[in-house]
Amino acid sequence: MKLAEIVEKLDLAVRTAGGRLGREVTAGYASDLMSDVIAHAKPGTLWVTLQIHQNIVAVASMNELAGIVLVNGREPEAETIEKAEAEGLPIMVTPLPTFEVVGRLYSLGIPGIA
Amino acid sequence: MIFVRSLHPVSGEDVAEKMKLEQVRQILNAEVITGENLLSREATMGCGADLMSDVLAYGKPGSLLLTGLTNQQVVRTAEMADLVAICFVRGKRPDAETVKMAKSHGLPLLWTKVPMFESCGRLYKHGLVGVSEYGE
Amino acid sequence: MPFTKVQELVYEMKVNEVMTRSVITVDARTPMSQLREVFRDKKISGTPVVQDGKLVGIISLEDFIKWLYGREQNSVIETKMTKEVETLYDDEPLVHAVSKFDRLGFGRFAVIERQTGRLVGVITKGDIIAGVLKKLEIDYHEEEIHRYRASHIFEDIVADRTTLVFEYDVIGQDFDRGGESSSRLKRTLKRLGLDPVTVRRVAIATYEAEMNLIVFTEGGKIVARVEPGRVTMEVDDSGPGIADVEKALQPGYSTAPQWVRDLGFGAGMGLNNIQKCADHMDIVSAPGKGTHLKISILTGDEREAGRDS
Repeated sequence: MKLAEIVEKLDLAVRTAGGRLGREVTAGYASDLMSDVIAHAKPGTLWVTLQIHQNIVAVASMNELAGIVLVNGREPEAETIEKAEAEGLPIMVTPLPTFEVVGRLYSLGIPGIA
Repeated sequence: MIFVRSLHPVSGEDVAEKMKLEQVRQILNAEVITGENLLSREATMGCGADLMSDVLAYGKPGSLLLTGLTNQQVVRTAEMADLVAICFVRGKRPDAETVKMAKSHGLPLLWTKVPMFESCGRLYKHGLVGVSEYGE
Repeated sequence: MPFTKVQELVYEMKVNEVMTRSVITVDARTPMSQLREVFRDKKISGTPVVQDGKLVGIISLEDFIKWLYGREQNSVIETKMTKEVETLYDDEPLVHAVSKFDRLGFGRFAVIERQTGRLVGVITKGDIIAGVLKKLEIDYHEEEIHRYRASHIFEDIVADRTTLVFEYDVIGQDFDRGGESSSRLKRTLKRLGLDPVTVRRVAIATYEAEMNLIVFTEGGKIVARVEPGRVTMEVDDSGPGIADVEKALQPGYSTAPQWVRDLGFGAGMGLNNIQKCADHMDIVSAPGKGTHLKISILTGDEREAGRDS
């Protein structure tokens, strides 16, 4: 499923790299621990987290993730936005908590990483 | 946008209701670390987080916590926020001290190899609600 | 009513459950001249007088001085003591004791066994508070109990004006023990019978504050005051202090090192969580000096009342 479709269906607000929503999302990963994401996330993964620190951009780019969804209404820090724009990494935000965003992504047919 | 909840695979009805821990165990193929006799307790909602402040801020009494963290503070958090149980995801198991603490508080601990994303997804699909759908 | 449990126990518990059993007494036939040694050695200013194990009177330092000045012959205590003694029966409910303390203003009462008339103990206001808290399995400071020797305990308990103070020392950097103080406070509030919503809010706010002490400081102190209508926590440490309090209050702002984040804390939400739980929060901090955090949480009834007005 294309990132744009997910953004629309989940009513996500796009904060960075709005031009890169044509990416294909292959799977979902939810974690607030950087080390976990580095170890397990695969290219094309959509990452759900409440971490807003600029480190998330480095982790996502390194792993070629499709994008990041920030939950609980958390907004990316200024440095995070700057880095994400530079990297062309879409960051979306939602007022929903992880459990519900993931639940809805899963219900749309986005699988977890096996 | 109105989001249409998935229907219960058995009853076919929209089931935004409490879920027994026994059902959680089955859905996630989870192992019970402690609290085998407490599985008839019901989770009021689901909460998936690795940051305890997030749980303290958004979890409601009776929440089931899904987390990849396994230290003692996870049990403390459950105790402070009146959570119903903790399910450790991504195959991480807590140490003996953490289990001991949970036992002394009568807090059930479950453990599953299923990652966070898949765990939240399955439970949500089976009708466990999140905090925004939680009825006070 | 935050202290329903205390009030319940004052009606349920008996005098003999809280009284002090080892009592210094003098025999009625002791010569007055020997009283000097008794008062001096035992450091007391008055003592019950017994005969064959039964309370027959009370002799005070005042009685002794009167006898000295009177330059009378040496006589036995029996002839100089006060014979009308206010006493309590050992099987009376505590509330009787509490009411008698307030009515008569005495510091202590002798306790008599109802059937035999034998003196079996002495009871003070401090004994009552200590006994009730012990029954609730609450650890309490000795100094706090002494306070009740001077105050109107009956009015306090019945009018629900009792204030209880709990103190916890938190050791810095000891991550594994983080939450022990909050856990103890939570248990105490539950035992006192506070409503679950208040207990939870206090627990979460205290826990976040405790974790801040552990993560950022060398340790500090949490003092919780439980009074009718509200619970107040004061959290103090002696450094390093917060450089920019306003910034620290922004959600997500954090100076926590990575190891703390990996343990699930330090995501910059702690103070916000405290604020969310609190009805009032004050924070005063100076770099190098330390931080003073005051958190007030209203109990269920008070919160409802505040909403209505």
